[in-house]
Amino acid sequence: MTGRKEEVVTTMCASHCGGNCLLKVHVRDGVITRVETDDGPEPQLRACQRGRALRQRVYDPGRILHPLKRVGERGEGRFEQISWDEALDTVASQLKRVRETYGPISILYLPMAGDLGVLHSVMVGHRLLALAGGYTTWWGATSFQAGLMSEYYTFGTICCSNSRDSLLHSRLIIAWGWDPAKTIQGTNTTWYLARAKEAGTKIVAVDPFYNETAAAFAREWIPIRPGTDAAMLIAMAYVIVEKDLQDRAFLDRYTVGFARFRDYVLGVEDGLPKTPAWAEAITGVPASTIERLAVEYALAKPAALMAGIGPGRTAFGEQYHRAASVLATMTGNVGVLGGDAGGRAWVSVVGGYPYRVGLGSGLPFARNPIDDLATWDGVFLGKMHPRIHYAKMADAILKGRAGGYPADYKLALIVNCNYVNALPNTNKTVRALKSLEFIADVEQHMTATARYADIILPSSTYVEREDIVPGAVNGYYGFQRKIIEPLGESRPHNEIFKALAERMGILDYDTQGEEERLRSAVAKARIPDYEAFKEKALYWVPRSGPYVAFKDQIEDPENHPFPTPSGKIEIYSERLAAMNDPLLPPVPKYIETWEGVNDPLARKYPIQLVTPHDRRRANAQFDNLPWLREQLPQAVSMSKVDAESRGIKDGDMVRVFNDRGETRIQARVTSRIMPGVASLPEGAWYDPDEDGVDRAGHPNVLTSDEPSPGGAFPYNSVLVQIERL
Amino acid sequence: MGFYFDQTRCVGCFTCCVACKDWHDVPAGPANWMRIACLEQGEYPNPFVAYAAVPCYHCAQPACADACPAGAISKREGDGIVVVDRGECLGESVCGGLCREACPYDAPQFGAEEDPRMQKCDLCLDRWREGKRPICVDACPTRALDAGPLEELRARYGPQRECPGLSWSEKTGPSVVVRPKTRNSSGGAPWK
Repeated sequence: MTGRKEEVVTTMCASHCGGNCLLKVHVRDGVITRVETDDGPEPQLRACQRGRALRQRVYDPGRILHPLKRVGERGEGRFEQISWDEALDTVASQLKRVRETYGPISILYLPMAGDLGVLHSVMVGHRLLALAGGYTTWWGATSFQAGLMSEYYTFGTICCSNSRDSLLHSRLIIAWGWDPAKTIQGTNTTWYLARAKEAGTKIVAVDPFYNETAAAFAREWIPIRPGTDAAMLIAMAYVIVEKDLQDRAFLDRYTVGFARFRDYVLGVEDGLPKTPAWAEAITGVPASTIERLAVEYALAKPAALMAGIGPGRTAFGEQYHRAASVLATMTGNVGVLGGDAGGRAWVSVVGGYPYRVGLGSGLPFARNPIDDLATWDGVFLGKMHPRIHYAKMADAILKGRAGGYPADYKLALIVNCNYVNALPNTNKTVRALKSLEFIADVEQHMTATARYADIILPSSTYVEREDIVPGAVNGYYGFQRKIIEPLGESRPHNEIFKALAERMGILDYDTQGEEERLRSAVAKARIPDYEAFKEKALYWVPRSGPYVAFKDQIEDPENHPFPTPSGKIEIYSERLAAMNDPLLPPVPKYIETWEGVNDPLARKYPIQLVTPHDRRRANAQFDNLPWLREQLPQAVSMSKVDAESRGIKDGDMVRVFNDRGETRIQARVTSRIMPGVASLPEGAWYDPDEDGVDRAGHPNVLTSDEPSPGGAFPYNSVLVQIERL
Repeated sequence: MGFYFDQTRCVGCFTCCVACKDWHDVPAGPANWMRIACLEQGEYPNPFVAYAAVPCYHCAQPACADACPAGAISKREGDGIVVVDRGECLGESVCGGLCREACPYDAPQFGAEEDPRMQKCDLCLDRWREGKRPICVDACPTRALDAGPLEELRARYGPQRECPGLSWSEKTGPSVVVRPKTRNSSGGAPWK
């Protein structure tokens, strides 16, 4: 009915930004007209710039509205519209063909998290392919594998974070490579930081870049060389031990292995005391600063060491996360209001608040017969043959069995994943994708990845279907209402996979139906009133104050052991010791990064590149939206010293390159970055010219596909050269 | 009516800008009712970074209204919101944007369309009617913005009216209250 009154529907935005915020979506005649956010009681869940650009996202001219079949070369972007029947039949028959010709191990399932929803998670594809005979998939969380590994071996769980309002009780906050002004890190984190600062809490930022959180809230900025964070943390431990400032009672009661770590720190083990002077030479941070911060942190209890995940995305990033958690443990800041366990300070999807319902489709679990062949080497979530580390996927596709991989790979099913953009070493990724026999992509937008697909199955956005989402670190659930009909012929990916299952002859894919699964997820979450939850789109888990991780373990250790083999916090890990790998030591150690300042490669490529998240994107999501693009043009930030020596002025077009690739983008010359370091935010959609030179400022043409020993993706261990064009 | 901006809380996220463009249906392009100016001063390792939110400050003596040859801009009785009658505006191609030239804050905006008429922040007149504050105020993730009667803002937030990126114009008298960011309120690197 035309001219009908505008309706306002509340829903929860759950993109991949790190927040979960309320949106009040205005709809007229089935079209979204504008958006407001939470105006209820505080803490309001106010949406950020990304969520507010909802209309441009949903109605993006690049939205894929119909099933498409490739007619040009892979990557060229020429497609023709086909029917759903033809698209589904093609994908189903290709899956069957590859399974029968090469075996199910040759089928690759390449998902990522994308928009977050319980029902519409990537598990829908896992179930289909598992029931269809199996598939190969990846291990290694691109964002924070090092942090997962560290949390698991140190605390026995990946739920290590206090809710963000705990920061209001901190006496000192160290934002270590942590920039929630860009990456949200749980809705309202910057609001809590602002209030903490105004209440007199000292905030210190450690980062090679004077990031937005540092600029707004930090009383002190400590620039540090990329990849050397563990050295500074370990030197802080040295200062604390030397001055006998560690919390002895805490260490005695709750931990194992402190003496082993102390021996390493003091140099008993290797003759090298890890003094502030030792760390200064590695990190570029003055020894006096290291010493002062160590003393402040040891005495400021409760103090929150917020260990961002960027420094963990380096070669040996596992050691940074382990060192941060051990430092938080030594100072007795674990399980304390206003403290923090020093785990990953990014916990939206995996870990964080211990929700009863996580992301998992609500479909029954189906075993993947290929994973049943797996041998676990013991690294949490990792080294699970025949799974492939995600960074090595392109290498595995290109080399197959001849290269020592478990199979020759022939087909890729890509879901919720801008694979070309997200994974390191793009030029290799592109070669790999071009070599496959068949690629199907379930996508919303014509991304850099969709352009390589043979068949694109158009999926709908979170305003075109129903779902629920857990609310990151802060302890609430959100309901996502179906606000408009799916655009064009797009479908929720639940429906897409159900239809594929039918064509594969799998009849028990979803015996419950979506509505029933949604209701049972809500019941499992112990949300009392389904209809009220749906209407308000928000349910706070009842609580008496900020959530404090490990509160029970600290207050009542006899009845609440840590879920580690020893029942304690494992500063020394027997499980790591059993791996007998010097690059995964049982106590945290500084191991020199590759592609750092001492790498011989630095003579050719003298600039250390970091590739952080950007304000206007969530990874690659939102890069295409004009309202966001116009505010923040993509640029490579570099210091005045490095720019002047290269004749580069602010705004000049430059080439950033190494042996893996080249990208051309404008330079931002700034006093906000450490000399010798450049910063190019990740997520810009790869846009190669005919010679393969990227024109978008997409840094993954430069990053390495060699994972760290614990599985960390070394997106921030990259040497490059920069020249004026 | 006036505008309050807490510069010490602004993280430069542009949520106010995007919320404004969405609410008022302004496409990406040269017309921006709310702008964020980024200031960077100082040398490594002691940079100073501040953002300034720049909408229309609905001045006491709006220079834009005086400059408009068509009398299309007026300051409303009562609430003092400065508004433009786009039907009366002669268009940028006729007058060259005299209002924009006169405004110390570049508040008058012209879109990318052919022969654009002036548009600018109206402090969300439509939202006040519904008892709501401007969309930017209700959008800000750090609650750094407010709007309301100027006297009330001064009583609540103090008399300050200048901050890095915003000079107070004696001539026009912008209706603004700010909490300025200074080096002392923000950081730098004391170890240097």
